[in-house]
Amino acid sequence: MSALQPQLDDLAQRLRAGADAANDIAALEELRVRFLGRNGEVTLVRRGIGALPPAERPDAGKLINDAVARMEALLDDAKARLARGALDEELQRRIDVTFPAPEASLGSIHPVRRIVDEIADAFGRLGFATVLGDEVEPSYYAFDALNIPADHPAREGFDSFFITPELLLRPHTSPMQIRTMQQHRPPVAILAPGRCYRRDAVDARHLFQFHQVEGLLVAEGIHFGHLKGALAHLSRSLFGPDQRVRFRPSFFPFTEPSAEVDTTCPKCKGNGESCSMCGGSGWIEIGGAGMVHPNVLREVGYDPAVVSGWAFGVGVERIALARYEIDDIRRLIESETEFLRQLQ
Amino acid sequence: MRLPLAWLRTYVDLPDDVDAIADKLSMLGFPVESIERKPTITGVVVGRITAIEKHPNADRLQVCTIDIGAAKTLTIATAATNVAAGQWIPVAQIGAILPHVTIAPRKMRGVESEGMLCSAEELALPAEWFEDGIMQLDESLPLGSDVVAAFGLCEPILEVEITSNRADAMSVLGIARELAAAYGTALRAPSFENPASLPSPTERAPRIELRSNDCTRFVAQRVEGVRVAPAPSAIRIRLAQAGQRPIDALVDISNYVMLEIGQPLHFYDADAIPNAHLIVRDAAPGERLTTIDERELELDERALIIADENAAQGLAGIKGGSASEVRASTTALLIEGATFVGARIRRTSARFALRTEASSRHERTLPPALADAGVARAAQLLASLGAQLFAPVVAGGEIAPTPQIALASHELRRLLGIAASPDSIAFHLRALGCEVAVDGELLSVRPPWWRRDLTQSVDLIEEYARLEGYDRIPESLPSVPATEVSSARYRREREAAFLLEALGYREVLTYSLVGESLLGTLARGGLDERARSVEVANPLSEEQRYLRASLEAGLLAYLARRDERAAIFEIGHAFARDERSVLETPTIAFARATDPVEQPEWREEGFARVKSDAIALLSRLTGAAVTVASGEHRFLHPGICALLSIGGRELGVVGRLHPYLAQSFALERPVYLAALAFDAIPEYVAPTYAPPSKFPATYRDLALVLAPEIEAAAVERVARAAVGATCVGVRVFDEYRGAQVGAGKKSLAVRITMQSPSETLTDTAVDERIDAAIARLHDELGATVRR
Ligand SMILES: [Zn+2]
Repeated sequence: MSALQPQLDDLAQRLRAGADAANDIAALEELRVRFLGRNGEVTLVRRGIGALPPAERPDAGKLINDAVARMEALLDDAKARLARGALDEELQRRIDVTFPAPEASLGSIHPVRRIVDEIADAFGRLGFATVLGDEVEPSYYAFDALNIPADHPAREGFDSFFITPELLLRPHTSPMQIRTMQQHRPPVAILAPGRCYRRDAVDARHLFQFHQVEGLLVAEGIHFGHLKGALAHLSRSLFGPDQRVRFRPSFFPFTEPSAEVDTTCPKCKGNGESCSMCGGSGWIEIGGAGMVHPNVLREVGYDPAVVSGWAFGVGVERIALARYEIDDIRRLIESETEFLRQLQ
Repeated sequence: MRLPLAWLRTYVDLPDDVDAIADKLSMLGFPVESIERKPTITGVVVGRITAIEKHPNADRLQVCTIDIGAAKTLTIATAATNVAAGQWIPVAQIGAILPHVTIAPRKMRGVESEGMLCSAEELALPAEWFEDGIMQLDESLPLGSDVVAAFGLCEPILEVEITSNRADAMSVLGIARELAAAYGTALRAPSFENPASLPSPTERAPRIELRSNDCTRFVAQRVEGVRVAPAPSAIRIRLAQAGQRPIDALVDISNYVMLEIGQPLHFYDADAIPNAHLIVRDAAPGERLTTIDERELELDERALIIADENAAQGLAGIKGGSASEVRASTTALLIEGATFVGARIRRTSARFALRTEASSRHERTLPPALADAGVARAAQLLASLGAQLFAPVVAGGEIAPTPQIALASHELRRLLGIAASPDSIAFHLRALGCEVAVDGELLSVRPPWWRRDLTQSVDLIEEYARLEGYDRIPESLPSVPATEVSSARYRREREAAFLLEALGYREVLTYSLVGESLLGTLARGGLDERARSVEVANPLSEEQRYLRASLEAGLLAYLARRDERAAIFEIGHAFARDERSVLETPTIAFARATDPVEQPEWREEGFARVKSDAIALLSRLTGAAVTVASGEHRFLHPGICALLSIGGRELGVVGRLHPYLAQSFALERPVYLAALAFDAIPEYVAPTYAPPSKFPATYRDLALVLAPEIEAAAVERVARAAVGATCVGVRVFDEYRGAQVGAGKKSLAVRITMQSPSETLTDTAVDERIDAAIARLHDELGATVRR
């Protein structure tokens, strides 16, 4: 072993002792100059290479360079230690994180849109497209094409606002069924949300304008069981995983068989017992549904012997009342800031 | 429709539990809207007053001796004034429970009273529809028999909704028929046929003339020997329970038959119809009719009437006339039972605002055979009161049979998703009265005469599903094949809403139908919207006469009425008059009311805010750059109004609310509005990526002095053109007016940024382009550089 090594080890030893004792950057700089500076102790060792035995001279340079690297690393470590001392001081700082911050300037989406969008999402997952249409419709689309000819008793039930005898504010979004089927060959799977109008006097449960979401699926092999499954899926998407649906026979000219659709009351979870929302029945009504009437399919040029389908319509405001436990339907259209703020 | 459960039970065996029955009805398609439960009543029996004496100690009391069919009579004191010896009356014995009292023995002014005589009210019947005082019962009732059981006084009444397709179910028997089918039990229907051999009324035989095809059948039957007197107790009580006021035996029997089987009838005083000749015809213009409730109607040819040889005697299917109505002196009747085309009846009933029990049935188009059944039933009830019947006369020809419908059992699987065997299908359809022949998979079905709504196979499939129970069909999710319909419009509307939410606006809804109060406010602000507004022909009120011509007005009303500090938006349709139709414009409108700020007259921070919101919205929706130019809009301040466009297509406006409108809406804070026409906004075009230049960008700021009317957009356009290809941005970032630039001038600070994709630009190269820009700005816009 070279005689140089113990000498270099000694230098490193002393540098470490000095670095450990240093309290500031200046002291480290002083050490660096003393050991590694131009006239420092390492330089003195380097100068002594010529005095070494000839056999040791070739390795001497590498030994010294290694020692220098080791010593520089020692100094860097010491420097980092001192710098972290300053950060540790920062780490002692505390603020009151509960101190109120200014509110973010977000607006809000109306509860009606939120529900429509959730329905669109629920059916989007099943492969339905969402389409929009006009609010003023010829009576052909609102009635005739939907198997409600002039003089059909059901027309009266729609109690519509007319602009002219042939033009009215749509009482449901079902015209979009006809428009879509006239433009596309089957299969067709659409959701049609939108504003509808009926001549209802305004009170806590009624508005003359409201939102409906219509759903339509026509393809080969579509049956009533699928309708039940799809509306159960809808109810669970809106109100939670334990929801059930109940179909009661009913009558709509454009579907057959037709049904009124109830879902588990979201407030009492179907227990009934003096529940203010469902009147104790345990169910709330969410809309009407049924298999598309063969006359409607024929009207749009579909063959009812080949394709079958179903349609449903749900009232958005009614869902909103149940979901948010709103006491008066007018609040939805009054859209008071406080109301919107609570439901945002 | 009110359905007394007691009445239903006479035709079909039902469970005791009314809730179970109500559930069954709901699940059959007849929703029960309410159940009127009756108080418990016990211990009331039929009694006869055998003797009556004045109370020895009280002028207002009488002491009755009552036979209740037992060995011992009862002594009962009563304050009622309508009692007389020989009357049959309800007697509450000691221990009886009445709605508000339990009967105990008591002394009334010294006389021991052993019970109580009951009024209708004490039997849970509407007091005002029965005798004032003690209720009178039929003399044929067995003494001592239970009154409560005999008349089902404690049985609840169901309020049931009947859908408009079910002409057959508008009656107690119609519902009983459904329940019998659903429970699989027998129906006990009364006979609806006249005795086979009735005498012909010879020269007084009714003559019926149908001059309109809207009458599908007309049955008339002459009945003699009738008497206007109270109807039997059973009829009176059932009518009252069903919500129909008892009048006299004749009116009551007519109502009873209508409620029982659904056929409205009309009874004419036979002597008031010359030659017993009845004509069904269109009314003549100006022809008049006084109805039995003394309403004077002026008719025209749209109304279908029943007339005698001289004048209208009734509005067909709706209401009879007073001239030939039954009166106290009536001894002979003509019973009319007819069926009509429902639409005709409905139109007339709507036009005269005459909605009756009869019209609500006729407007569903009753099956012709029901007319025969109804008339026969009424005749039978009259005969039981001693009247003499004559053979009925019928007009309307042969009744067409119901159609033969072919049904394949696999169709049920295809449409319902459950397997149905031909036998199970036949079972349910037969329960509903259909004739069914089964041939393997195929069924041939003929509906009963009362189900004219069953015309095609899908109608039968619904009947099967209804009786089988919708809840027996299992839920499953369809696998939807890929379709070609696009959601693009919906997705864009949704994105706009969520962007506006992120920009700080709250979404509101306002009414699409507006009226005088809003239009008046606009008019006071100098805006006449009536001319452009679409009018509704049948509004609910003046406040909803017009379709809104803008969304802006609704937002202003919101700010004025609900929250004058709000930032709000609405997405909806605006409507305008068009040549023949209605022009409908899907619109996004938003408004922001701000706090007033100190600022120079040529600066408008609120405007800048809303403008940048509109630009952000449009550029996110389209992926394109938005161009701003000054413009005008009827809602906006003419000097603070910008038109927004993309690629030359105008999309909408943004600006400050017109001061006149601010004044008329009493909006004191500055309000900024934007309105964008949804369908004008171009489709989103996905941008392409360009890697940033590796070479540094350089900029120069210039302070330009110009005439105040020169717009920043012009400066940006000229500078960009002058700098040329290396120009990557020109932006005016400050404006100043005042002493330092002198009167009639303004100063704009503009930053021009330059960058080359292929080299580092030298100062010389940059300065050369900047100098070119300064020269062009001077030449084209008269701008000088302030050093
Ligand atoms: Zn509930």
